[in-house]
Amino acid sequence: MTARGVDMRKAPTDRLQEWSKKGHRTVQGDTLVMLAADYPDMVVISADLTPTARLTDFRETYPDRFFDVGIAEQNLIDFTVGLALEGLRPFAVGLAGIVPMRPAEQMRAALGYMNANATVIGIEAGVRFGPLGNTHYAMDDIAVVRAIPNFTVICPSDPLSTHKALYACAEHEGPVYVRLTGGPGYPVMYPEDFDFQIGRAIEYRPGSDVAFVSSGSLLADAVGAADILEGKGISARVVDMHTVKPLDTEMLDRVFAENKLVVTVEEHSSIGGLGGAVAEYKAGFADAPKQLIASLGDKFQKLGDHTFLMKLNGLTAPDLAALAEANV
Amino acid sequence: MANKKTVDLVEEKAALMRRDVIEMGYAAGGRGAHFGPALSSIEIVAGLFFGIMNHDPKNPTMADRDRFVQSKGHACLAYYAALTETGYITREQMYTFKGDNSFLAGHPTRNMKYGIEVTSGSLGNGFAVACGMAKAAKIKSDDHKVYCLVGDGECNEGIIWEAAMNAAKYELDNLIAIVDRNGVQLAGTTKDIMDVDIEALWRAAGWDVVVVEGGNDASSVLEALQGMRDSSSGKPHVIIANTTKGKGISFMEGSLGWHARPMPQEFYEQAVAELENA
Repeated sequence: MTARGVDMRKAPTDRLQEWSKKGHRTVQGDTLVMLAADYPDMVVISADLTPTARLTDFRETYPDRFFDVGIAEQNLIDFTVGLALEGLRPFAVGLAGIVPMRPAEQMRAALGYMNANATVIGIEAGVRFGPLGNTHYAMDDIAVVRAIPNFTVICPSDPLSTHKALYACAEHEGPVYVRLTGGPGYPVMYPEDFDFQIGRAIEYRPGSDVAFVSSGSLLADAVGAADILEGKGISARVVDMHTVKPLDTEMLDRVFAENKLVVTVEEHSSIGGLGGAVAEYKAGFADAPKQLIASLGDKFQKLGDHTFLMKLNGLTAPDLAALAEANV
Repeated sequence: MANKKTVDLVEEKAALMRRDVIEMGYAAGGRGAHFGPALSSIEIVAGLFFGIMNHDPKNPTMADRDRFVQSKGHACLAYYAALTETGYITREQMYTFKGDNSFLAGHPTRNMKYGIEVTSGSLGNGFAVACGMAKAAKIKSDDHKVYCLVGDGECNEGIIWEAAMNAAKYELDNLIAIVDRNGVQLAGTTKDIMDVDIEALWRAAGWDVVVVEGGNDASSVLEALQGMRDSSSGKPHVIIANTTKGKGISFMEGSLGWHARPMPQEFYEQAVAELENA
């Protein structure tokens, strides 16, 4: 039984291969259907994004619990808040590149300030929209939401953690922004059920020299970098910091005490994301190790597919390994 | 026709609320207050709290209460006056308006203990949230209504029309918006700033529209509110109430200068004298 009295669903590990193949949109769409079965007060709101966000099944299965506000992101948030204040558990789904930024003021004044129990899901975060260009990239969404009091920000790293994060949202008190990365070929990092708790980072593998602190689907690349370093005799810890706000400071305390170099890894601007959050916390330490922020930097991107952009920004496993090796 | 006893009660309470507005605004000293937009909406707010809404100041979270959302949050003095005269807050609390650590900010901040349903102040959002609340009532098959006070200047906001279209799509006939058309916004008249036919806009968005000429006449306001409350047309309702900015205080009526400002003592004394002789 969960805290809200729902029978704990068995982790859908049988779906992981399919979810990995199809990417986060499908994990999200399928999970929302499961959530609706488990939580009678759960509803979904979207802004003309049904097929893109893989919400067609939800709309057909729960037509009375699915609302489309049209292409109107400000109202996506305010309408969601109104539903939440009256005791429903709304999940609002939008593009990460549009939703936190365009209705940022609704996210702050209505959702954050009234501390409503609502979840906002941003799909296609980072630069996965590649050829569609910078208007569709989400490079600043963590920065926007993280600055709003009361908000929790979650960046799951793989199909099962995405599924479990959304379930955690249905139990969570207060507003949550779930930032989804990881398209088709979404690596399975957690093949078996595991304990996912909001605000509790996971030490994915231990290591004493470098610590990669990662958010989102780049966890796979951080682990790949750790593998490469291991071959060179450098011990690398990898932390899945799936919750960017609130940070797991106990985990960071261990990292600062035990590792010689911290490399934060994220598909986000170098300003205001995971790297910024860790640096803010680290500012209180006189003797914490050096930190490098592996990110998309502070720039509009060139156009290109996701693989091209990851390479260009030094976010592939070999790039991350080289960065760490040069600085440790 | 509105019941005469109700009209008398609303008129009596409206007079007390006008005095509360002046008292709170004067007590705020140099911090100032939005006098004009509060005074224009007094009969609407008094009509809702004393003649229309099902609510209980002793039980602010009563499940079947009608909801009131003051989207034009800057006119909070009218709201706080109603909360005082109905007994949600004490007179002592009323006088903390805009004070350090007060829960009565210059714009309403959700506080269910004292009957403040929705945070507003960033224009347009209160209305859009109210639309969500009305949809929630439909989903849950609740019978209560959602009333939302909107400013005419506030109708400049894009979110108003995003939400209005959506409310019509979902046939939220349990939602009654009241536009306080006092004709003056922050930097000029509504005609100077954005001269649009808001009646046509609300109709085009799919709403039932009624215009009340006497927006500061309790009887006219009550009649319109009753009509919209009792209608199940399948459309959301909007009452466009033609009001006078700063109504009741001669030097504030129609005045741009009294939209928001501090009130010096000589003006306070004149305002009180006018209200006492009204």
